[in-house]
Amino acid sequence: MSPLLELHNLHVSYGGIQALQSINLAVSAGEVVTLIGANGAGKTTTLRAISRLVQARTGSITYNGRDITRARPDEVVRLGIAQSPEGRRMLARQSVLDNLRLGAYTRRDRAGIEADVAQQFKRFPRLAERRTQLAGTLSGGEQQMLAIARALMSRPRLLLLDEPSLGLAPLVAREIFAIIDELRAAGVTILLVEQNAGLALQHATRGYVLEAGQLTIEGPAQALLNDERVRRAYLG
Amino acid sequence: MNLFLQQILNGLAIGSLYAIFALGYTLVFSILRVINFTHGALFALGAYATYLLTGSAVNPSGVLASLFSAFFGKPALPLALPFLVSLVLGACVAGLAGMLVERIAFKPLRDRGADPLLALVSSLGVSIVLVNLMQYLVGTEIYPFPDTVLGNLPRAINFGVPGKPVPVRTVQIVMFVVSMILVVLLTYFINATKTGKALRAVAEDTTTAYLLGINTDRLILLTFFLSGFLGGVAGTLVGLSVGINGPYFGIAYGLKGLAVIVLGGLGDIPGAVVGGFALGLAEAFVPAHYVAYKDAVAFALLFIVLLTRPQGLLGRAAVQKV
Ligand SMILES: Nc1ncnc2c1ncn2[C@@H]1O[C@H](COP(=O)(O)OP(=O)(O)O)[C@@H](O)[C@H]1O
Ligand SMILES: [Mg+2]
Repeated sequence: MSPLLELHNLHVSYGGIQALQSINLAVSAGEVVTLIGANGAGKTTTLRAISRLVQARTGSITYNGRDITRARPDEVVRLGIAQSPEGRRMLARQSVLDNLRLGAYTRRDRAGIEADVAQQFKRFPRLAERRTQLAGTLSGGEQQMLAIARALMSRPRLLLLDEPSLGLAPLVAREIFAIIDELRAAGVTILLVEQNAGLALQHATRGYVLEAGQLTIEGPAQALLNDERVRRAYLG
Repeated sequence: MNLFLQQILNGLAIGSLYAIFALGYTLVFSILRVINFTHGALFALGAYATYLLTGSAVNPSGVLASLFSAFFGKPALPLALPFLVSLVLGACVAGLAGMLVERIAFKPLRDRGADPLLALVSSLGVSIVLVNLMQYLVGTEIYPFPDTVLGNLPRAINFGVPGKPVPVRTVQIVMFVVSMILVVLLTYFINATKTGKALRAVAEDTTTAYLLGINTDRLILLTFFLSGFLGGVAGTLVGLSVGINGPYFGIAYGLKGLAVIVLGGLGDIPGAVVGGFALGLAEAFVPAHYVAYKDAVAFALLFIVLLTRPQGLLGRAAVQKV
């Protein structure tokens, strides 16, 4: 079976500066794949390339058998790829409820949208309590929950998560990862970017290590957890 | 006392007009963080378009007169739409021109990742072209709307008691009512509709908007249409009140509109409305003797407000967007 998402020989640069080089990465349906690496390695750039926020210089991005290398960002969402971005990027001046509803912007089925809103509130009871509050007034953990819930509102087949545990207290981070396990059990395919490599590998099926714009190591999450190089560089 | 009331009513009318005109700037500014300098030209364009749609005649000094005469046998369009219909269609013409302005002056620069300030210059350029084009088409003479344009409404309406009349020109009342309807509709659209909320998302964070699947380019086009529409309505209403005073008359209003949004604190609907009324009322109290200095009042007021409240009249610390 061909993978749901496939990056083939992807190069991305900002101005003259090469951020990603010859990236070959695949995510199959049902997997939770994690991309780990140091700050500045190019993890966010990889997700931005998939969401079509940055142009690929060369190479291709294939999703569900379809070339999306030159697609518009909104088309990518329509095709089923949603992202919870680094830094959460709340619409701080809109309510929790409106943030969620805007997550379903590409959908037309009103009843289905309201049912999904209710489902997200069940999954994240703290968001339900704050439904009329402006998103900007939420705590970091609540904002992360809202970012994930909002991404889920488009009913994605592939969920891109960029540093969901960044800046969160360990207990809250674990809460977020419990949600990731839950989504995986529900059959959502996830590409997870994390600096917290240990936590990410514990919850993923497979992993890639990104170093200075290039993929260096890949394998099953368990194997990476035991890999000497990974242990030294990222789990120490 | 009666004069005082009359001045207040006139100030409210012109203030509401300044508000909708300034809202046109606000819409574009809140999304692109740049002033659209064609707004004054679209104001004039809307006024001329409405004028033509009512079937009124153009002056022979522009080429449109000979064109119309050749095709229709008279220097006017062969139709005579009611004023309100012409107002809406004329505003649509200004709105469509606004969309064209976005495609010509803004999008190419945005796509290249240029500094938003550059669009200020390109829109200024397009504005000059537009004004010259209008001058070529209709000349520079003043075009008063015919007296019959409002049908058989009286010329003035009395707001006083019998014996102590407070007459206000019907035109001023039309100005106020139409402007306030637009303010209410726009507020509703921005705050309560899905598209309006998406527009606010684009204004707040374009990247997030993309990630939500919002086609930001389309919404930016819509913003330019709405902005041009508001400018066009404002132009028509001023034209109705004092005549369309040449293609350049939009430029003077363009500057006043800038004063209004700065007064209001740049960027949200309440700010533009408060700024509009502040300017309208201030002007209304300029003594008749000094009426030639009316425009100076706008900028004196602006100067004083900026000195004392740099964040605008509503006093929000950070720049707010729609
Ligand atoms: N908008 C940008 N313009 C220029 N360089 C950038 C931009 N965004 C990221 N970079 C550079 O690209 C490299 C990869 O960044 P990023 O993808 O954010 O890394 P990570 O998410 O792994 O921390 C870094 O060297 C960073 O400085
Ligand atoms: Mg990053």
